[in-house]
Amino acid sequence: MADQQITSSSTAEYFAKNLQQVGFSSPTKAVLTTLKESVDNALDACEDHQILPELHVEILKLGPGGGRNTDLISIRVSDNGPGLKPEDLPRVFGEYLASSKFGRGRCSRGQQGIGISAATTWAQLTNACGVKVKSKTSAMKKAVSMQIDVNIKKNQGIVKNKETFDWDRKHGTEIEFQIDGRLQSKGDGGLFTYLEATILVNPHLTLHYFIHGMDDWKRTERVTDVVPVVPPSSLPHPHTMKLGEFITHAMAFGKTSLKNFLSKGFSRVTPGSIELMMKNGLKKTYINKSIISIGEAELKKVFAAIQNTELPSPSTKTVLTVGEEALSKSILRLGEIDFFSVLTRKPKVCDFKPVVVEVAIARFKDRPGDADDSIQLLRFANRVPLQFDKGGCAITKAAESVNWRSYGLNQSKKSLPTGPYVMAISLTSPFIKFKNASKETVDSSDELVEEIRRALMQAGQKLAKHLKREQKAGELERKLKYIEKYGPILVTGLVKILKAPERRKDKALKGLSQILGRDTELAVEELEVADQKLEALESEAS
Amino acid sequence: MSSVLQSKKKVMQKAKAICEAMLSDLEKAQRPVLTAVKCSLDNSIYNAKVGYFTPGDKMVRSELNVSSVQKLSRTIFVLDILLNNLEIDAVNTKREIYYMTKGLTINGEHKSLDFEEQSECDSIIDYIMDLLEIYREEFNCFAGDRGGQTYSQQLVVTEFLNDGEKAVVDLSTLGTMPYQPKNKPQALKLKVKKKVDFCLVVESEGTANTLVTMGFTKRHNCILMGAMGVPTNGVRGWCKLIQDQLKVPIYFYGDLDAYTLQNIYRTLKAGSAASLIRNKDFSAPEVRFLGLLPEDIKKYNLPYRVVKENNPKEARALKKAKDALKNDPFFQDKKNKKLTQILHFLIKNKIRCEQQALMSVDPKDPLKPEKIIIEKIKSGSWV
Repeated sequence: MADQQITSSSTAEYFAKNLQQVGFSSPTKAVLTTLKESVDNALDACEDHQILPELHVEILKLGPGGGRNTDLISIRVSDNGPGLKPEDLPRVFGEYLASSKFGRGRCSRGQQGIGISAATTWAQLTNACGVKVKSKTSAMKKAVSMQIDVNIKKNQGIVKNKETFDWDRKHGTEIEFQIDGRLQSKGDGGLFTYLEATILVNPHLTLHYFIHGMDDWKRTERVTDVVPVVPPSSLPHPHTMKLGEFITHAMAFGKTSLKNFLSKGFSRVTPGSIELMMKNGLKKTYINKSIISIGEAELKKVFAAIQNTELPSPSTKTVLTVGEEALSKSILRLGEIDFFSVLTRKPKVCDFKPVVVEVAIARFKDRPGDADDSIQLLRFANRVPLQFDKGGCAITKAAESVNWRSYGLNQSKKSLPTGPYVMAISLTSPFIKFKNASKETVDSSDELVEEIRRALMQAGQKLAKHLKREQKAGELERKLKYIEKYGPILVTGLVKILKAPERRKDKALKGLSQILGRDTELAVEELEVADQKLEALESEAS
Repeated sequence: MSSVLQSKKKVMQKAKAICEAMLSDLEKAQRPVLTAVKCSLDNSIYNAKVGYFTPGDKMVRSELNVSSVQKLSRTIFVLDILLNNLEIDAVNTKREIYYMTKGLTINGEHKSLDFEEQSECDSIIDYIMDLLEIYREEFNCFAGDRGGQTYSQQLVVTEFLNDGEKAVVDLSTLGTMPYQPKNKPQALKLKVKKKVDFCLVVESEGTANTLVTMGFTKRHNCILMGAMGVPTNGVRGWCKLIQDQLKVPIYFYGDLDAYTLQNIYRTLKAGSAASLIRNKDFSAPEVRFLGLLPEDIKKYNLPYRVVKENNPKEARALKKAKDALKNDPFFQDKKNKKLTQILHFLIKNKIRCEQQALMSVDPKDPLKPEKIIIEKIKSGSWV
């Protein structure tokens, strides 16, 4: 053992060897993850600069891939975003953890700066060529194009074939990956599912797309001109911190007094709460001392006193919602819809993290499906579709725990309901706890599952109203048929019992048609009212 | 004219009057409305002086509209079958009526009236009876329910037949075989050869049969009847007939449990909410509860069973007993205070004691149960 050398590896080396941890565990997933990372980056960039995003996505099969049972797939994503400066391009695409968003506590799609560099690595490993990028900012006269590879040993981007050119747009970025992969269009992990889901939670997005096998490009227009504003992050809440984090955070304040550090370095710490901390063991003599003079050992005691003190819950102002109105409009872009129900919960604090749950349930006319099949469940975390490992996710758990039968859907015990429905559940929070680095499954805590469950139950109540209205229309139709069927039999029966003459029968039949005619008119009117209500609901949304 | 023929005429007149009213309403383009007594506990009135459940003023109103047109058509359809039966003196069970409707709907013009299940047809038959306020038996529609299995050395029954003939049955000639009357009390006339001291109705027909075989009816001038569990209309009408025509005290002997008190004894004595319009002729308010009584357990050291609350059937019976105390006008009436006390006792102690427990008092003496029953009657140990 003594002669073995201890070596250090770069972050890039680690991820290059463990790409399965960040969504590149199979050729099929590699294509989807590459597309996802590219689209997430484009949308985040547009939102940061308040630009209405217009994206072009093109996925082509170029030929056989380098690996066994793979194809060479081209994934090209072009946006009208702010563009990136040439000097930033190798860092963004070729360096791990080089991100403008890492640990900022905002509800942006990307968080760590791993995904897109991992896509470049995958392209480089499977096709010996990183990512091809075109970029132009509004300050640049000419656009720049280059190939970026990852220097795996040094965790740095390498620029190749850099050129400038005239581009017919003021600003934007276009990236193209050519990778070994396999195309899966449909199903939970399919590309179409991803694009539809992205369209749903991004009402402000105009998307043009072409996936290998389609006859032509498809264009989906935005339904709102409002670009969502991702709220700025807030100061950390003391109860969300671990001891080590707390000490590091404190040291950054250096000579500041403890009192100032507590009230300026955290959210939800008021003079009143500092008083309470003192009752819970915080020494009075520390209050006006500088952080440095207190020292680590004493800071541990300060930390303990804070943890023992009741504080107001963290602010929910940092969360972002799509909103019921926008969601209603957006869902209509996915196909012809029978009816739908959308719901946005008020932001709530779960496990000391602000979170907001939004739900959309729709029944599509053009997707009849099998009545016995499970509904299509679309899961989102910070507006990014989650398409794998459905079973272990908090969102699935919550959906399975609801008794959908009481809202008119069929459901076996502890499973998803069945029928031709699409159920989209979106979770937004600056601190979503994923089960893995590839961000496919949301870790489930009882509090979070309960919050999602409540949202689903509210949406279910709305859905039940639709279903009841539908049922009512059906009943009225059935009743109309009854009139035609049973009315004359009634008269014939009475005439037979009374041995009444034919003329009485004719007269009674006339009378009956007058009475039931009035009912028929009434029933038709009621049907019309029911129809109008349904139409009104749909037009409200569109 | 015999009472049977009078009844037939009355039923036909009532039915036709309703049909006439409906047809003339239709001719005038007015909606016919049918009203029937609401037969439910919330419309049941118990007056101890009357002695049985009578209907309150709640009515079920069926006006002809899109929702009721099917029900009314079916009502007239089944009424026609019943009237036809009555006219030709044909007799049927409910199930037979159901199959008659099937025969008329399979290929005929009334196909749309087809009853998928017998229960649908049954509920229309019941509705017609409520509507006309008559008994199903008056329409010659009988359930399989017969009167209680009856034994007596003194009783003679005369039955007036539809064809005007009479049948006379002397029960003393039947040996240990029971006489079981048809459920048509209005067609029966009772006579006794010798004064009868009492009538004993035993919950279990098996126990009644044991008593007879051991010579109960030979030793006592009485009528002995096996009620066969929850009393059918036949048993109820038969008891009422004995009460009214013979004017002898009637005692009921059965298990000491909530089910017997509520479902068997109360129905025999005061009728039921489901048959509000029948209770007048199908309940015997003077019937007494001979036991078993709570005090009998102690007095005769009777073995009893503990009600198992984890047994769904027993738990349900217990819950029903609690509900009865709350909602059943019979148990709320002061006159039945002692019966209510027994229910409270049973709910509180969660026990039940079966009628056959008397066999445990002296297993070597097969006549012991008879002796105890007679002792209880003589000493007034009943409610």
